[in-house]
Amino acid sequence: MSIDKRPLGEPALPASADPAQAVPKATRRDFLKAGGMLSLSSLMGTAALMAQTDDAKATIEWAEHFQKNYRLMSDEEKNEARIRLERRHSAEYGRKVTVDISGAQPGVLMGYALNVRKCIGCRRCVKACVEENNQSRGSRPGERIEWIQVLRMERGEFSEERMNHGYPEGLGIQVGGNAYTPVGQVLEGQFHYTPEAVPEKDATYMPIACMQCEKPPCVKVCPVRTTYREADGPVVIDYNWCIGCRMCMGACPYWARRMNVTKPVLPKDEMNPVTHYLGNRPRMRGVVEKCHWCLQRTRQGRYPACVEVCPVGARKFGNLLDPDSEVSLILARKNVFRLKAELNTFPKFFYFYD
Amino acid sequence: MAMNRIVRHALILAACAGFSAPGLAQDAEKKEVKETICFESRKGASEVTKREIRPGLPNVKCSPTTDAVLWYGDPYEDTVPMGKVPLLDKIPEGHAVVKPRTEKLSLASTCTLACHNGVTPPGFPKHKKPIPIPTMEAMVPDVKDLQHGRGRIWCLDCHHPTRRDKLVDNFGDPVSLDQPQLLCGKCHGDKLRDWRDGIHGKRIGEFASTGKKRWFVCTECHNPHDVQNGAHQRGFTQLKPEPPPQLPAGMKDARHEKVHPIAH
Ligand code: SF4
Repeated sequence: MSIDKRPLGEPALPASADPAQAVPKATRRDFLKAGGMLSLSSLMGTAALMAQTDDAKATIEWAEHFQKNYRLMSDEEKNEARIRLERRHSAEYGRKVTVDISGAQPGVLMGYALNVRKCIGCRRCVKACVEENNQSRGSRPGERIEWIQVLRMERGEFSEERMNHGYPEGLGIQVGGNAYTPVGQVLEGQFHYTPEAVPEKDATYMPIACMQCEKPPCVKVCPVRTTYREADGPVVIDYNWCIGCRMCMGACPYWARRMNVTKPVLPKDEMNPVTHYLGNRPRMRGVVEKCHWCLQRTRQGRYPACVEVCPVGARKFGNLLDPDSEVSLILARKNVFRLKAELNTFPKFFYFYD
Repeated sequence: MAMNRIVRHALILAACAGFSAPGLAQDAEKKEVKETICFESRKGASEVTKREIRPGLPNVKCSPTTDAVLWYGDPYEDTVPMGKVPLLDKIPEGHAVVKPRTEKLSLASTCTLACHNGVTPPGFPKHKKPIPIPTMEAMVPDVKDLQHGRGRIWCLDCHHPTRRDKLVDNFGDPVSLDQPQLLCGKCHGDKLRDWRDGIHGKRIGEFASTGKKRWFVCTECHNPHDVQNGAHQRGFTQLKPEPPPQLPAGMKDARHEKVHPIAH
């Protein structure tokens, strides 16, 4: 975005996760200021004027449009943003909507573990997530968004008939007849399975959502730095700053991110009014969203919605810094793997089996 | 199985009708039409009736396609303290709660009223060997070919001989139906340890290791009577899955997923 004017040879300042310490660069507002067109005070003045004209919605939109990136906001500005959002959403959904802005607690690093041997593929976690996180739920193409995908994988079988076949025939077999038996193949299974009942005898299931990587590729590619890793672990998005470029969707190796290609469909009576700024507050058209480990719940100490609803208890959530927490004990005691560990994304979402 | 359930319901209904005034019974029936009852972990185990805790905040949200609970407004609804579990001592008093099962297993009250009323009947055998009991087999067909334990255990290894609303521990002392872990842990010690540590089974509420949680006990997820039958996979009764995700725009079906996915 901004052109680096450092003279050649001058060392770059160390990269920092905290944008307040980052090298100052031109922001949208600086650009406006520099243009001498508007200043913050004149913006406020305009906002006040518009409030007097009784067009509250326009005022809020105006202020929202010029608010900072969430990470750069002072506590006061965050609070203003919270009040603005609460007002707008309460009016829109006809009930009291709260927008939490509480930050990371010291001493907490969130972690997740899923027992792949237990999962029965019932997709209840998928639907619980939608109930909790205010995803779009329309019926036209692109209007139904789900963050968790449950992958069905074949158990497969080897057959005696094929054991001596293959190719090239008769010249010493290079590819045996059982070569393409798709046993437990990972990540090429079925997402749209619809059997009468699960679990099926010949299948295993593997739910996939955002892995909340410690080295998230999506964060690296975001041109407006609106997606970032919070201090307690989850990778979050400030929806207001998302420009909808979908770079993060391409970068994520776990297909975790979803785009609101249409205006989200969220019926008033189905809306969850308990929201977090970085979590499940209603999104707008043209922004990207994904799992954030139910920040509106976990920041208040509650389990994520998918953990609570899994009928077989396959999903475990806890504080990685607490040696007595569920995830810590699983890491200590069970056989654990990370999905696509070879990509060095270092997920805080672990799969395990008994 | 289905027949068995019908019989049970009939029994419960009969028992209720006996105790409540007819007017009340009619009221209850009228209400039941509107009620949404959803199951929690497995069908036939714990159930919740949907209601509003506060205006706009339901106690649970249920799946329109499968009647399964999808979301908890209040994770501690209708719970009581769990009671003592050996070595589960790091959790503060009152932070481990369970939903009582005794009431749900209401057949127990019928049993204890009629026959198993705490008195050892004359001629009760002194040895511990299984004996076929035709009346029981007629009433609870599950017991006829009990697969759990593969013939090495029978009724009285888990149920108290004279108090049918209780389970039984290694010393012959009664165990509450709300605390089946004290019974199941007799054999499944590794699972008991993992459950106690929060690695096996399910808890809802606060995630901190010392937080307040509702613990799901063994029988809320597993049916001990038919846990090893053919229709079960990995210890669970099969159930209907929730609907699949939306198909990509322009795609008519998901047949492409079933085509051999590995290129030759
Ligand atoms: S709710 Fe649990 S069992 Fe069902 S698909 Fe999700 S993880 Fe698997």
